[in-house]
Amino acid sequence: MIRLIEELWLFFRRDLIIARTYRTLFVMEIVEAFLGAALFYYVSRFVDSPQLEHALPQGGTYFAFALVGYVFLDYLNAALDTFDRSLEEARDSGTLEHLLVTQTSLPVFIIGSAFYPFLSTTLRIAVYFGWGAAFFGFPVHGANWLAVFAILVVSLLAFSGLGILSSSYLLLFKRGNPAKWILLGVSSIVSGMLFPVSILPDWLQFVARLNPVTYALDAMRAAILSGSGIIAIWRPLVALLLFAAVLLPLSGVVFTWALKRTKATGTLTHR
Amino acid sequence: MVTQPAIRVDRIEKSFPPARSGWRAFLQPFEKPSVPALAGLSFEVREGESVALLGANGAGKSTLLRILATLLLPTHGHAYVSGHETVRDSREVRRRLGYHAGTDHGFYARLTGRENLLFFGRLNQLSSAAATQRIATLAEQFHLAEFLDRQVRTLSSGTVQRLSLARALLHQPRVLLLDEPTRSLDAIAAAEFRRFLKSAVLRNGETSLLFASHTLAEVELLATRVAVLHAGRLLACDTISALKRSTGSATLEEVFLRLTGHPPDFSPEDSAQ
Repeated sequence: MIRLIEELWLFFRRDLIIARTYRTLFVMEIVEAFLGAALFYYVSRFVDSPQLEHALPQGGTYFAFALVGYVFLDYLNAALDTFDRSLEEARDSGTLEHLLVTQTSLPVFIIGSAFYPFLSTTLRIAVYFGWGAAFFGFPVHGANWLAVFAILVVSLLAFSGLGILSSSYLLLFKRGNPAKWILLGVSSIVSGMLFPVSILPDWLQFVARLNPVTYALDAMRAAILSGSGIIAIWRPLVALLLFAAVLLPLSGVVFTWALKRTKATGTLTHR
Repeated sequence: MVTQPAIRVDRIEKSFPPARSGWRAFLQPFEKPSVPALAGLSFEVREGESVALLGANGAGKSTLLRILATLLLPTHGHAYVSGHETVRDSREVRRRLGYHAGTDHGFYARLTGRENLLFFGRLNQLSSAAATQRIATLAEQFHLAEFLDRQVRTLSSGTVQRLSLARALLHQPRVLLLDEPTRSLDAIAAAEFRRFLKSAVLRNGETSLLFASHTLAEVELLATRVAVLHAGRLLACDTISALKRSTGSATLEEVFLRLTGHPPDFSPEDSAQ
């Protein structure tokens, strides 16, 4: 177990050192977060009305509602993308073969390579909220941060399963990320990212209820905007945990099979 | 006492599914292997021995090395490294081998040489202190000390090749697999690389080497025995002098041409006609 933690740390440290060589990018991301927060603030000023605020599930401004939705989708994007990206980068740079002849297994490499992107995305969320709170009145004072943390962790587990399934697809077919395409594409419409699910037609509301992102977003908004604690949001948390309990083992089995298959077909390092 | 061979290849066969393009590429992972690359290959590499794989492009040299490196699964047969089977016991195999391919370097370009070596050394179960010590030793042996703290993207091909060989040797493997190690080097860098290999790796007699090469001078300098492959089959495996004797040839080139069915006065133009 200690050895596993050490190995995961090695990948995190590697990514941290590489990230330090891209300092300009780091500054640009902080500025980008400010611009993103400003965009939603001005859209909110344009569309905000008492009726709209009344229609939002947790009340408050449209700015707060949309910023949480947008930032959470960014997090989901990272969860779905990071496994693929690390595999693709290793394959394209030629490091994959050399990683595979070490005594560290490919699953450890895939999971280890996800730590830094997740941490950096979590920090980006904090920067978005920080800009929002400092300049645009985003309400962070009443937020229940323990609940926010719990939602992020449980969401990460749930969506990582899809991310690993997606990297299995990449191993076999070399290009594309169907999980991201389906989940993000669908979720941008039917998860309540920029507008409440209640304005959708009935059949789309039904689809939204099948989408785990809807639960995660509901819970996130409740924790940040209404200060709801873990007990109050147990239903979406359990839904996400169930999702993770099914997807994580399934993705492990599929990934192992895909790896074996590519070692048999000789396409492991093909682009 | 009978010692375990460093490498044992036992009736290895490898076939690949046919290459597909367009939408049929989606079927490739599920297709049956039908394109043969290795056809029942068997031989051994003894402890401390250096064996060269000699063969034309497509003879199966890289395929064999990749099976031994656990990067490929054989279709039939078994391969063993220090007595451990490459499929069943792949982790133990990787513990005992170093692998270096001359075609790609596989380093993190924005990490320094030292950071790269430390990373790969730690992944090979070396403690931080042991990896640091080993990097210092190898840097001295391979004249890498002055380049270690520069980002890999700023290093020359020859230096990166030496760095790659140092990486393969970090965990002091018993078996070293090299796939055309001097392929992307100029003549001077290649000669220097071979000199490093001979003086720093093979001299101690503790490391067994199996390498693929098209450069006959390299084979003659480094190999104690030569395995000649053709179309996935092993045509001969012996010392260079024994091969010359048995084929009545004066040079290794002549040995290779005779064994692969080309007349000694063969020229590429003959083959094209």
